[in-house]
Amino acid sequence: MLGSAIQPVVGQTINWNSVDNFKNVINLGFGWDYSLSYHIAYARKLNTKMPVALNASFAIPSGENLVDDFKTKIGGQLVILNNANYKGAVTINGIFRRYESPLVRLHNFGSELKGSFGYYSTKWFLAAELGFDKAIVTHVKHAKSYKDNVYSEAVDGWYEPATGGNYILGMQTGVSFKKSDIILNLGVVKTQDLKSSPLIPFYLMLGYNLRFN
Amino acid sequence: MKRKILLIFVIAGILVSSCEKEIDANEPGNLVAKTVEQDPGLPFISVNGTTLHAQSFGNPSKPLVIFLHGGPGSDYRSALNASQLANDGYHVVFYDQRGTGLSKRHEKSSYSIELYLDDLSEVIKHYRTASNQKVFLFGHSWGAIIAAAYLNSYPEKITGAIFAEPGGLNKQLLDKYGESSRKLNLFSEATTNVTYYDQFFTGDENNHVILDYKMGLASPFSYAKGNEEGIEGPTPFWRSGAVVLDAFTDIAENEGFDFTVNLKQFSPKVLFLYGEKNKSYGLDFAKKEASFFSNAELFQIDGTGHQMIYFKWNHVYPAVLNYLKSQN
Repeated sequence: MLGSAIQPVVGQTINWNSVDNFKNVINLGFGWDYSLSYHIAYARKLNTKMPVALNASFAIPSGENLVDDFKTKIGGQLVILNNANYKGAVTINGIFRRYESPLVRLHNFGSELKGSFGYYSTKWFLAAELGFDKAIVTHVKHAKSYKDNVYSEAVDGWYEPATGGNYILGMQTGVSFKKSDIILNLGVVKTQDLKSSPLIPFYLMLGYNLRFN
Repeated sequence: MKRKILLIFVIAGILVSSCEKEIDANEPGNLVAKTVEQDPGLPFISVNGTTLHAQSFGNPSKPLVIFLHGGPGSDYRSALNASQLANDGYHVVFYDQRGTGLSKRHEKSSYSIELYLDDLSEVIKHYRTASNQKVFLFGHSWGAIIAAAYLNSYPEKITGAIFAEPGGLNKQLLDKYGESSRKLNLFSEATTNVTYYDQFFTGDENNHVILDYKMGLASPFSYAKGNEEGIEGPTPFWRSGAVVLDAFTDIAENEGFDFTVNLKQFSPKVLFLYGEKNKSYGLDFAKKEASFFSNAELFQIDGTGHQMIYFKWNHVYPAVLNYLKSQN
């Protein structure tokens, strides 16, 4: 049984109790994911004994330059606890993302691991979610403005070991009807030391799913 | 055969990419400049249990002009125009405040206003060559707030002071200035540029290299198109002090502050400079802050905003020089 939403910010959210008759889910949404962002995503349910879905997403933040920043994810999720209404799922995504400002251009390969557990019916669902997003390796290219006005000897190249990581803790909820779902993900973001937070320490995404075969 | 060739290319690609030198983000000198602790070639002074990046210009026996840079967490690089005053018979001193610029870093919990004032006392002591040598403070933005805090505590130690848009001599005024000058437009590129990178780089509360780097990357927000402070473009700086900013933000929020209560005791005239194009400050804000002093002169710097010392030094210079001469 597969169900509702696809959620780029914290992996693909799926109502595993409302997609029995569908193989594909397309999701559109927006919300706060380190910026006011907009996303499109796709998930495909596999014909496996244990419920599995593969997913991919693309998200861009607000701004006058729409293509200078983006985030893509590709991965899957597996239902490891599959009772009638109480389900637990694990999501694993590979991430590729880009950031550009007047001072620097960043490309990053990262990973996301997320677990969720909650109540899923055919009409609605509510689950808690806990995830970790790791920025594994980042390519840094400083702009002329950085070298002229800040630090002329800044080193460009691939930065390792991991340059960052953030935890998310929150909830996912949604309603399902006919071939559609409306999903809300929200929660807090903490940096990996669990003491500090990003400038905006929360995430909030509202999405719409369309299920089809 | 084709598969084998493809495999060889893939393996070769992996080997080449793995041979590329890995760069450690936490290593000083890669993303941000080294501090005086890490680079012995930098000019420094050791005072009050720390090491400050510092320079002075002019004859050491002449009246001291101590420049206090903005922030919290900026440095004096954009204010070096003021070294011109050395040609007019002043000993001009610049230092990066504790924990910022190229000065030594410390734990977040160690910072306090009192410590910053003690540092300033020790800087004055370090450069003063005679007990009757005159001492002027020249503060910009946060540096002007520190100058006021110093006058509030030690009015007898200072000959005169120049304030370039302090933007909050007490918590109420600071909040007012902050609300006016730091408006977030969630749809703008400038806002995305200061929030989106939080998923690329993270550092714990005392990871100075990463946090300083991120704070520096946020600097274009201040000069984004249409900014309220009338800032024309980028101003140079060596290295931000993110932990300092975080520490003083917490102090202001948790403890509040009011550096105005004793300012009337400072009887010499002070000079307030304000930029014509700073919509968040202007004549009204300058009048309000100047009213805490018994004798203040206001001077508008035409054609610029908050970063007047960098962008319009040719307008700032005569106003400052006239004031200094009037107090000699």
